[in-house]
Amino acid sequence: MGVLRIGHASLRVMDIAAAVKHYEEVLGLKTVMKDNAGNVYLKCWDEWDKYSIILTPSDRAGLNHVAYKVEKDEDLEALQARIEAWGIQTTLLPEGTLPSTGRMLQFNLPSGHEMRLYAMKEYVGTDVGTVNPDPWPDGIRGAGAHWLDHLLLMCEMNPEAGINKVQDNTRFMKECLDFFLTEQVLVGPQGDMQAATWMARTTTPHDIAFVGGPVSGLHHIAFFLDSWHDVLKAADVMAKKKVKIDVAPTRHGITRGETIYFFDPSGNRNETFAGLGYLAQPDRPVTTWSEDKLGSGIFFHTGELVASFTDVYT
Amino acid sequence: MGANPCSQVRVSVSQTGDCFDCATNESLLAGMLRLGRKGIPAGCVNGGCGVCKVRIVEGAVQSLGPVSRAHVSTEEEASGYTLACRVAPTQAVCLEVAARLRKPFLGSATPVAQRPAN
Repeated sequence: MGVLRIGHASLRVMDIAAAVKHYEEVLGLKTVMKDNAGNVYLKCWDEWDKYSIILTPSDRAGLNHVAYKVEKDEDLEALQARIEAWGIQTTLLPEGTLPSTGRMLQFNLPSGHEMRLYAMKEYVGTDVGTVNPDPWPDGIRGAGAHWLDHLLLMCEMNPEAGINKVQDNTRFMKECLDFFLTEQVLVGPQGDMQAATWMARTTTPHDIAFVGGPVSGLHHIAFFLDSWHDVLKAADVMAKKKVKIDVAPTRHGITRGETIYFFDPSGNRNETFAGLGYLAQPDRPVTTWSEDKLGSGIFFHTGELVASFTDVYT
Repeated sequence: MGANPCSQVRVSVSQTGDCFDCATNESLLAGMLRLGRKGIPAGCVNGGCGVCKVRIVEGAVQSLGPVSRAHVSTEEEASGYTLACRVAPTQAVCLEVAARLRKPFLGSATPVAQRPAN
């Protein structure tokens, strides 16, 4: 029971046509539906539920909400009780609040980010089907992302004022949603302050990550690719399409992931992420990065921090 | 490429004295980055993150696309504030970097010296 995996992210975009073109032609998603409010729903070829991205026309960029899928409908009541007992208010949104989606448990993380849990989303199947499938479908566009993999939320952190939403979120995700910690960055004079954490429910190094910053926001949403060569090809696609690349192909020390960071046409940061890094398990020892080796943790090859990476987000 | 070159105008950053030539069909920020120059902080380059917020002190610009209202209000826009990644110069421009630089998320490990003073 409980949370299965990331289900979708709802993003604010300032030019819906440009955004749809980006997610279709650069990342390779397909538009599956549009609603009367102008929201556009998309999915990756290897996902079987109806959609994993919602693009919402807005006058600003950023995250509306992130949703995780739970295994059983009754999990929603069980998790609601735990979340409310923890001290966070929740709302059960009725089926149909989002199209093709069952009822959703809505609440805000301690950092203020809106999260939703749901058990049902319309099944439409992957692009290769379930009987004698090909390894990949014809007609893949752009990077050909397999699935929405994770996201990283920037969380308010002000140690002088006693505020550390990274630590609060991490405790909440563990105590209420049974996520486990895979890696952490510890800072401060005693080296005991959680400034960043990576957490999982599946067997990948992270299904969500939290990093401290001056204000809460969205750092990035990440899409899964198969291999290092696919990461290279994705960068070729971005260069051809004149996409603003933030960090060219490299490897993270943290998670061991192979990566590219880039921006959608509204400035929301995207990542294409390959390599499963290691088998994440609840009993795997937690990896810790110290403040002085943080550069290597983030970008292993150069070991240097990139200012735009740490202080630019939506 | 280059068969019909666009005219270029001078862009200067008042606080630092940095200046560069920018085509009238590219954004102030793209023009700076293309030449590998510095002066205006660069972020998403797509109007969303607000890092390249500037005030146009002299000269004129035209819009290339939407700017996030989380970073430039309509009142601010009316008094000359914009994002350098979303406007192209129509004549020589003198600008002021206006972005309130955020404290880096992990203190001393972040190379704050790369950020212009303001």
